[in-house]
Amino acid sequence: MKDQDLMRSARFRKERETDWRRLETLVLAAEQRGLQHMDFAEARDLASLYRQATTSLSIAREISLDKALLGYLEALTARAYLCVYAPQERLGGVFHRFFAQSAPQAMRRSWPFLVLGFLCMGLGALAGYLLYFESPDWYYVFLPTELAGGRGPDATYESLRAVIYDEDPNSSGLGAFATYLFSHNTRIAIFVFGLGVFACAPAIILTFYNGLMLGAFYALHVDRGLGPDIAGWLSIHGVTELSAICIACAGGLKLGTALLFPGDFSRVASLRRAGRDAVKLALVAALMLLVAAFLEGFGRQLVQDMYMRFIIGWGIGALWLIWFVFGGRVQR
Amino acid sequence: MILRLKKKNRKNRPSRDELMPPEGVPLTLPIAGVGVRFGAQITDITITFVALVAVMILLAMLNITSPQTMIAIGALLFFLIRVPYYVLAELVWNGQTLGKRILKIKVVSHDGGPLTTHALVLRNMMKEAEVFLPATLVLMLDASSPLASLGALVWILICLLIPVFDRYRRRLGDMMAGTHVIHLPVPVLLKDLASEPRMISLNRKEFVFLSYQLDHYGAFELQTLEGLLRAQNTQPTSDGGAQRNKTIAAIVEKIRKKIGYANPVPPPDRLRFLQAFYKAQREHLEQRQLFGDRRENKHYANNGEDA
Repeated sequence: MKDQDLMRSARFRKERETDWRRLETLVLAAEQRGLQHMDFAEARDLASLYRQATTSLSIAREISLDKALLGYLEALTARAYLCVYAPQERLGGVFHRFFAQSAPQAMRRSWPFLVLGFLCMGLGALAGYLLYFESPDWYYVFLPTELAGGRGPDATYESLRAVIYDEDPNSSGLGAFATYLFSHNTRIAIFVFGLGVFACAPAIILTFYNGLMLGAFYALHVDRGLGPDIAGWLSIHGVTELSAICIACAGGLKLGTALLFPGDFSRVASLRRAGRDAVKLALVAALMLLVAAFLEGFGRQLVQDMYMRFIIGWGIGALWLIWFVFGGRVQR
Repeated sequence: MILRLKKKNRKNRPSRDELMPPEGVPLTLPIAGVGVRFGAQITDITITFVALVAVMILLAMLNITSPQTMIAIGALLFFLIRVPYYVLAELVWNGQTLGKRILKIKVVSHDGGPLTTHALVLRNMMKEAEVFLPATLVLMLDASSPLASLGALVWILICLLIPVFDRYRRRLGDMMAGTHVIHLPVPVLLKDLASEPRMISLNRKEFVFLSYQLDHYGAFELQTLEGLLRAQNTQPTSDGGAQRNKTIAAIVEKIRKKIGYANPVPPPDRLRFLQAFYKAQREHLEQRQLFGDRRENKHYANNGEDA
């Protein structure tokens, strides 16, 4: 059959069919091998043939009533679109960008929320500390019994000291590490972050409550004359861990304020904008919790000296701070 | 009145399967339903769980852990395997985990742009918050704190119900990340019926249709006929031959009566008649369409009055 005998839409198809077939094979190759492993010529053809196919599709929708052709072009362009607009990032690049740029930058951008987060925890601790000295009964109000581990206002100096300087650790190492991660503080961090969406209040209350517990716990030991010892015991992992909770709280507050005060955006759009930084804060908090778990699982039992505990705990805290303050600065 | 206005708006809004790429030509990517996504999720959980069991057996053989801490370590390891698996798989395979690959579904950006790392991380972290963490809570806190377990259970149920009521079947994480999940379309190019050589039979003149005879049908009827003609190329079933001939005969008679085609069509020429009619009708309709007269179906003449 000669070309002249064909109707317009059939001629249209005949002229372009070879290009579409080639695009089809290229799309298959890209899906199987990945765009990175294709030749330069193949990748170039994929992009230009994809744009031709979109043009063909929009013309075919106007001039052709051939259902087979329309269906094929729809599917082919869609597949090619998915290949062409695939994320082009290497995994190493993703990690490098997170640690070297986006995480510290997100931390610096959300400094007001971080201040609020640390303030919640700090005020809570202060209140707990003062309340304990007013009446030790507050201790029972703040600390759930399973968390205290038998350390209450009735405990003696010796028993408290034995916990702090655990001479015979039988639950150390990996087991302690694992049990710890699913313990209290990780759960608090997750809730503090997640519940921030509900108008900030749960995040603030939870962080404050966590501070109260900390304050009361510390006050108990100060009362027994173990102040510096418990500070050392807490700092080796607590500097990292409590900061992680405050950072999670900051992320939650960010989401909550985005919902409460969306400004010129719709609430969903504002939540999405705030989410960009909040997710990074959550990732940083998760990383810090992981490090804290290592410190608690291994470091606390291995390092029995009080000064060493101070040095390790606050030293690592200083490293975090250096990362947040100096990481990802653009050189001019 | 307002209700009617709303209904009209609902009718007029673009199809939910439509995605607008940066090129500005809307593409059709059918939304994946809740069932198939649940299937993919189950597959992924199975895969990660098998990996977990393998690691646990290795740990047990090396005698690193004591049996008391086994469950806690298992929960931790499951977490450490699961979270990177989803994010990295979707990053490397362009929005597909292994389960999604098996079931041929895929994550796409809701606004038609490329998938970003941020979106993939966010949607998979929200999966933790939506399902896995409350599920761990339900499993870990049993009778001692029924309130917390109940709360976690209600939370899971709400999160599972959200996609059922969403138009694009998005999870909470999908909404926050600006993504949704689609079926991968399969491109299959069938032959063009209009450019097939005519069936040649001796001593028969060609069928000729006049333009008024082609004004009765629209695109829908044309494409139905196209489907019917394509089905003729497949092998008939054992008893289907007679049935099929009867259907063809009925259709030919109906078309003849409708368009006022006077000459009777002898049985051996019926398919040839349909093919010729398809070609003439399509040429006519495509011609009209070029002149701005788009005929969706045979009621095209009445539609003008409604508008």
